[in-house]
Amino acid sequence: MARQTMVSIFPEMKAFADHTPDLEAALTVRNLTKSFGAERVLDDVSFTVAEGESLVLLGHSGSGKSTTLRLIAGLEHPDGGEIFLHGRSVERLRARDRNVGVIFQNYALFPRMTVAENIGFGLRIRGVKSHKRAEITDRMLVLIGLAEHRDKYPWQISGGQQQRVAIARALAYEPDVLLFDESFSALDPQTRVGLRRDIRALLRRLRVPALFITHDQEEAMELGDHIAILNRGRLEQTGTPDQVYNEPKTEFVATFLGAANVVAAIAHTGAIELDPERLLPIRYNSVNPGPVKVVFRPEDVVLSTPASTPETPYPLGRGEIVDVSFTGASEAVMVRLTGKGELSSISEARSQFQTGSLQRSSARSGIVIKALRTKWDARHFGLHPGDAVSVGLRHFSVLVD
Amino acid sequence: MARKKDLQAVARRTDLARPIGVGVVVTAMLPLVILPLASIFIFGLSKGPVHFWEALVNPAALFSLKLSIMTSSVATACNVVFGIIAAYVLSKYEFPGDSSLTIIISLPTAIPTAVAGFALLLLWGRSGLLGQFLEHTDIQVMFTTSAIILANIFVTFPLAFGVIKPALDNLDTSYEDAAETIGATRWQTFRYVVLPSLRGAIITGALLTFARSIGEFGSTIMVSGNLAMKTQTAPLYIYTKFNEGDIEGANAIAAVLAIISFAIFSMIIVFRKRLGR
Ligand SMILES: Nc1ncnc2c1ncn2[C@@H]1O[C@H](COP(=O)(O)OP(=O)(O)O)[C@@H](O)[C@H]1O
Ligand SMILES: [Mg+2]
Repeated sequence: MARQTMVSIFPEMKAFADHTPDLEAALTVRNLTKSFGAERVLDDVSFTVAEGESLVLLGHSGSGKSTTLRLIAGLEHPDGGEIFLHGRSVERLRARDRNVGVIFQNYALFPRMTVAENIGFGLRIRGVKSHKRAEITDRMLVLIGLAEHRDKYPWQISGGQQQRVAIARALAYEPDVLLFDESFSALDPQTRVGLRRDIRALLRRLRVPALFITHDQEEAMELGDHIAILNRGRLEQTGTPDQVYNEPKTEFVATFLGAANVVAAIAHTGAIELDPERLLPIRYNSVNPGPVKVVFRPEDVVLSTPASTPETPYPLGRGEIVDVSFTGASEAVMVRLTGKGELSSISEARSQFQTGSLQRSSARSGIVIKALRTKWDARHFGLHPGDAVSVGLRHFSVLVD
Repeated sequence: MARKKDLQAVARRTDLARPIGVGVVVTAMLPLVILPLASIFIFGLSKGPVHFWEALVNPAALFSLKLSIMTSSVATACNVVFGIIAAYVLSKYEFPGDSSLTIIISLPTAIPTAVAGFALLLLWGRSGLLGQFLEHTDIQVMFTTSAIILANIFVTFPLAFGVIKPALDNLDTSYEDAAETIGATRWQTFRYVVLPSLRGAIITGALLTFARSIGEFGSTIMVSGNLAMKTQTAPLYIYTKFNEGDIEGANAIAAVLAIISFAIFSMIIVFRKRLGR
């Protein structure tokens, strides 16, 4: 498993390598660069949205997500790089000629138009006759399930309904790609989850390519066929949700996408050394010798009785329970890796969790890692602080700086 | 419960500031504003409504009212159109001197109306800067209806702009971005998205301009020549009739002007409320 880490096998990378836009792709962004004044907001950003697929651009606030979207829509102009829609460069096209559909963060429904007028606006602009317009508008209203609200004004409907209208307004003129800017963040959690599911199903059905923007990793996992992680204007990694979650290439990606244990280690040919007692096997020469970081998810940690060896590919030796907290569906266990007190090769170990708590431990006290167990494991094999356990890993990946 | 009532009673008793404050405000307003206005109507109706009606349907009186309404409407239309264009330009584009231009547009309200009238005379008068070129033509600007309109435009110039500009500044640009990505041209965006959103501000601006125009006196008396049945506006009619000792004649038109102003004022309040929504 860990062997795959160093090999990038993302189809879209090929397109950049030979410098021809992927003609199959709905949207290709290549080497996009943008500064506002002295601030470089986007730095060499490249990604592809395949036909009928969705890509989520995931990043913290201020990382340049909206700027990327505005560049694609033609609302801003790049300092460098290219944008292709269906293989065609849009450099010379004004926003209104690009035929993209944007769902803005605040939906931007026209306040003086009814729901139906909003949806029909793109058709009206294109000179579509009113009876044809009404027909398409009605079809859209049925599609989003808001037929009975057609004559209401935007302020008379809920946030979730407004978002549906914004999507219908874009779909009505059959855009080449849909761009969603944090479209779910303003909604209450229940509406958000339901709407996300509906929209994903809708896009799947209509086969409309979409770029979603979000700072919410859970949303990214749910909406994206692929996820691109943006950090301060640079793309850290692009891949399927499975790839970016299980094979993160950077510490940023690892910790952003969920709870992760990040442990400093040393790579040798054929093995990663956490400490002299703890060696993790890797494929021969797959990692250059030197300092590395080992990343593993709490749910990839297996705990068993000290007498036994966990049935996992990667045993980590003995440990001592530091803390146990039961959260309903699962149980979080903090484990200090113990040995003969010889964790000398580890200068600094760090584990960072979703909760934001940052744990540092020196070589002397041993590394503290987080493990996650199901409630059934917790019931069958109860653990308490001070208990000795045997630790193993199901999966890990290696980060090279 | 009883305790709470007691406390409330105590609070009411000790808070003397409220009745005193209200009393001061009303007492001050009575001789300054309320009684003068009331006396127009009290006087107007003191000799009976027939008398009042006769003074009102006097041809010169009716003419002055019509002239005032016409010139004010034209000035209002001009300033609203200009205000929309100026607000759009200054709100959407950056150019050198844009902030000075905003100040210059706003300047006319700060200039005394007599000065404004005098300035127009110096420009369009017989030996004026532009007027001298009209000397040998049939075109005459001063002492005509055009002069009244020019004076009205000058005096009310920034009023519509002053209401529309902030409304446009506060309009979320994402509506325009949305319209553009949907495929609208700049004109379509303006026509279908921006303009409807400014409706309240435009109506308020127009009402303010009209209200200010219809009462304009200082500049009008200088540029119009005050010719009865030709260039005599309603405020000039009131002034002239009063000077001639025709108090009833002056009062009839004064009452009508006051009612028009009340009506406009109420409409502005209604639209302000709508605007807030
Ligand atoms: N029009 C602009 N002028 C100046 N700076 C801007 C502009 N738009 C965005 N920025 C800056 O660019 C950075 C990235 O912004 P944005 O793309 O909106 O981030 P995100 O959507 O990821 O939160 C921010 O630091 C923001 O202040
Ligand atoms: Mg943003």
